[in-house]
Amino acid sequence: MNENEAIVEELSFWDKHRFLLMVVIAIGIAFAMTFISMAMYTSSGTAQLDLSRPGYRSVSSQVNRDDSSFKNYSSIGPVNQESINEFKNLFNTQATSIQSADAFSGDPLSPEALGINDPTK
Amino acid sequence: MKISVKALIVGLVFATTITGVLFARVSAVDSRMNDQHIENIRSNCVTAKNTLTQLHASDALLRVNMGQLYELMTTKLMDRFNSRLSNNNYDNSSLTAVTSAYNQKLDAFRNDYRNYEVQLAVALKIDCLNQPVSFYDAVAASREKRTQVHVDVARLNQFLNDYKTAMNAFENDYLAKQGTKQP
Repeated sequence: MNENEAIVEELSFWDKHRFLLMVVIAIGIAFAMTFISMAMYTSSGTAQLDLSRPGYRSVSSQVNRDDSSFKNYSSIGPVNQESINEFKNLFNTQATSIQSADAFSGDPLSPEALGINDPTK
Repeated sequence: MKISVKALIVGLVFATTITGVLFARVSAVDSRMNDQHIENIRSNCVTAKNTLTQLHASDALLRVNMGQLYELMTTKLMDRFNSRLSNNNYDNSSLTAVTSAYNQKLDAFRNDYRNYEVQLAVALKIDCLNQPVSFYDAVAASREKRTQVHVDVARLNQFLNDYKTAMNAFENDYLAKQGTKQP
């Protein structure tokens, strides 16, 4: 009995609290991983594409999730007048569609548009 | 001890200079705005914020949809056509040069949009009733960044035209070579 008691007394503080230490380390790792993930989420631009965030719910249903109308051009095959014409048709159709949108045009952030301009001018 | 006193003096001079510069800047901002202007910002604050919130959401949707289309142009069409020409031992250098420039501009578009979105989010967080000048400045910065995004879009559209031109040049060259091959 005396020998056992002697062994118990020799255990250090961390030997006695190994489970607590494991929990603390696990929480620390979880915090670090969460911090790294959030940093990558914001710095990579993923946050800007995430329309499930609050404030974007009204528009998230309008995201174009189906790109099947955008046909692939095969990178394998011969180059002849027919394959060139096929590519030109595909390219011109999509390019015209994109260019007609003229995204981010206009000036909705001008002071006049927002009503925060100087009324004396 | 002498070094500490010197460091203290240098620190004081530096702090005074920085404070002076900051005061000058704040005075410049404040003097730029008259009372009527500040009152106008306060009175239209709620309406302006609602407009910004809607714009924030609609621009995010535009970014997702247009970004996808710009990316598909290169992954589904341009890269593949370039590969096809390369696989058949045709000179595609002019087309790959345009594609490379297009991809660089697409990266710039992504970065510039992110900067714009972050700045607009900052503007939305400002209490425009209590901080009208800060709100106005934040909106002005957002406007500048949105203009840059539009410039990127215009340049991407220009690259699509450049690719068309390079494609037509390749076709003409191809037809000319085919013509000389025929008896």
